[in-house]
Amino acid sequence: MFKSLKFPVVAAVLALSGLATAGPLGIGSTATAEMIAGWDIDVRPDGMGLPDGEGSVAEGEGLYEAKCASCHGLFGEGEGRWPVLAGGEGTLDTLHPEKTVGSYWPYASTLWDYIYRAMPYPVPQSLSHEEVYSIAAYVLYLNDIVGDDFVSNKDTFAEVKMPNEENFFIDNRPDVNNERCFKNCADPSKFEIVTTINGVTPTGHFKEDSGVAANHYDGNPSAVSESGISTEKNITKVALSEGATLGRGVYDMACQACHNSGIAGAPKVGDVAGWVDRIGQGMDTLNDHAINGYQGADGVMPAKGGNMALSDDDVVNAVAFMVESSR
Amino acid sequence: MTKLYEPSLPKLMEAIAAEAGGMKGIDRRNFLKGGIAAVAGLSSVQMIPKANASTNLPPNLPEWQRHLGSGVVAKPYGEPSEFEDLQRRTVPWLTVDAASSISMTPLQDLEGIITPSGVVFERYHGGIPNVNPDQHRLIIHGLVERPLVLTMDDLKRFPSVSEIRFIECPANGGMEWRGAQMEALQFTHGMLACCEWTGVKLSTLLEEVGVRPEGKWILAEGADAAGMSRSIPLEKALDDTIIAWGQNGEALRPEQGYPLRMLNPGWEGNTSVKWLRRLEIGDQPWHHREETSKYTDLMPDGRSRRFTWVMETNSVITSPCPENPLKEPGFLEIRGLAWSGRGKIKAVDISFDGGVNWERTELKGLVLSKALTQFSFKTKWNGQPWLLQSRAIDETGYVQPTLRQLRDERGGWSIYHKNSIHTWNVTETGDVFNVQIS
Repeated sequence: MFKSLKFPVVAAVLALSGLATAGPLGIGSTATAEMIAGWDIDVRPDGMGLPDGEGSVAEGEGLYEAKCASCHGLFGEGEGRWPVLAGGEGTLDTLHPEKTVGSYWPYASTLWDYIYRAMPYPVPQSLSHEEVYSIAAYVLYLNDIVGDDFVSNKDTFAEVKMPNEENFFIDNRPDVNNERCFKNCADPSKFEIVTTINGVTPTGHFKEDSGVAANHYDGNPSAVSESGISTEKNITKVALSEGATLGRGVYDMACQACHNSGIAGAPKVGDVAGWVDRIGQGMDTLNDHAINGYQGADGVMPAKGGNMALSDDDVVNAVAFMVESSR
Repeated sequence: MTKLYEPSLPKLMEAIAAEAGGMKGIDRRNFLKGGIAAVAGLSSVQMIPKANASTNLPPNLPEWQRHLGSGVVAKPYGEPSEFEDLQRRTVPWLTVDAASSISMTPLQDLEGIITPSGVVFERYHGGIPNVNPDQHRLIIHGLVERPLVLTMDDLKRFPSVSEIRFIECPANGGMEWRGAQMEALQFTHGMLACCEWTGVKLSTLLEEVGVRPEGKWILAEGADAAGMSRSIPLEKALDDTIIAWGQNGEALRPEQGYPLRMLNPGWEGNTSVKWLRRLEIGDQPWHHREETSKYTDLMPDGRSRRFTWVMETNSVITSPCPENPLKEPGFLEIRGLAWSGRGKIKAVDISFDGGVNWERTELKGLVLSKALTQFSFKTKWNGQPWLLQSRAIDETGYVQPTLRQLRDERGGWSIYHKNSIHTWNVTETGDVFNVQIS
């Protein structure tokens, strides 16, 4: 009889004091399974985190072409300077290594994880699990890692082996050992002095004759970049109205991700054919669509490009910039 | 009869200041040099014949001493003098889009070791999220006894620490692997900053949740559009990782992760996940995109180093530099910065002949672990050309390597972790150029 009484009392005291669940300082609240489930999106090489659902290479093809190809190219070759996804096998030990999903990425799980968390670039975490399975399968197919009949799900996906997996090793630096020498440490007769190529970097802030300004994101001049030779097309230089001049900065910040690439069916700046019918609708209609959002046959324009921090005037100015640069 | 409007001097100066306020860089400097004189030439300004720069010089009483200045809280949050031109800058062709890009700290214009929050370099993978701190949560879960969700108020109840630490993008100098390319210090070394960071040690939070014995790794994840994520080993978390909400005496700036970020002292900046929303404890690393596809080091044989976290010892001369040329002969204090992800800077040496002969410099000011450290060398410049270099040594004895040593080991096509000795060519005219000696 004592026994049956004792346990409920102890449990009640623990529940009141919170001692049963609290840490040393008793700060914070329990993260519920439901909270965690909503945020726990990560996937690991051992398959941990892969959700239910599945998708095929065939389904992935259409999705990829609609949602990915405008930046990454129809065959994963990369549009402009957006990342190349396919190819590059056998280049890693050459002078022009091409690091793609197929040639470089050690684990297929990374592809699933990254597409789900961060893609499509302007609208992250908008894809369903099935869509991610399909698109990931298609990207693996573009890299000849799976066949065209591949259906990906949490079992098959975790089984995919990437060709470059074994070529990664843990950091073994320090890898060089310089001596703290003070006299005659180098032979000056063998010096070869390599200088920079003038005009590659912005110096307008400290050189009066430079003419190359920093800070402006206009996609030119093209030069050697971290990822190789730039091929980005320059936006045609035209005389801009005052509104369009102001709108250029807004465009750089908020619009160009789509309107410089064609993501989501967005007409590209400078694409005269793509803009002519739209311009024909009149500026009022264009501004209305840009401010309030618009779903058309060719694509979708989120209200203010999804950036509600922009004022209506900002958007109108950005539209003016795009229109005036696309006639 | 209506009198014609004649602007008063204060009004006119105000208008001029307003116009100058909209100017940047060279426009602004040209204005400051020539603007006043140009204004003085207008007929409407004959009432202020003394409004040219020279009247402010001795023996004259300067204009700003002849009337009252603005009072308290004219600017409730202050900003640099309008005569300063302190700006982050970027190299637009480096990346394809501003929301996934980098800008650089203006090291050439800074004093001491603390980087003002407004000019700390930026690196985003999906832009800056506009996080409401009242609605921000940090969830800690996985292999723990007590999964927790923490508000910002909760976090600030934990015992806090404030530490001065540098943060550096591993791509700092990355454009220079293949050859001298950047024509300014801001672009060769500006993916670097040093701030005082305030927050709770991650080890304290881990005690609160109770890590299970099999927990060895932590996934840190941001609340940005990229959901930036990195795997951090438990040893680092228990050593010196800070979960920070403060920077240089105030809340983190949005650019640096407001309201909450991870800070892994001495490690590549990318691991210090900003806008931190989630920590998951696991038994193995996640191998996410930013630790496989990116931020790994491809070697000449086609194999790649991964988990290259530590930023090795580095240094650079900040004056003179391309932005700060030598203007006259005579006495010169050569100044620079050194830093090491492994601890304190022990010494910095300087060479005037491209690394043939070296001399010791003096360290000055605070010498802190994993923080920018100033060095100084007093000399005279009499118009002779120099191949100026600095070489840092840290408390582990590691000596900053030459570019040739790095290239011999890692090839010429690497991107990250370039910490080699840097060369400025000072010419007879005092101009300074970025060069490489190979």
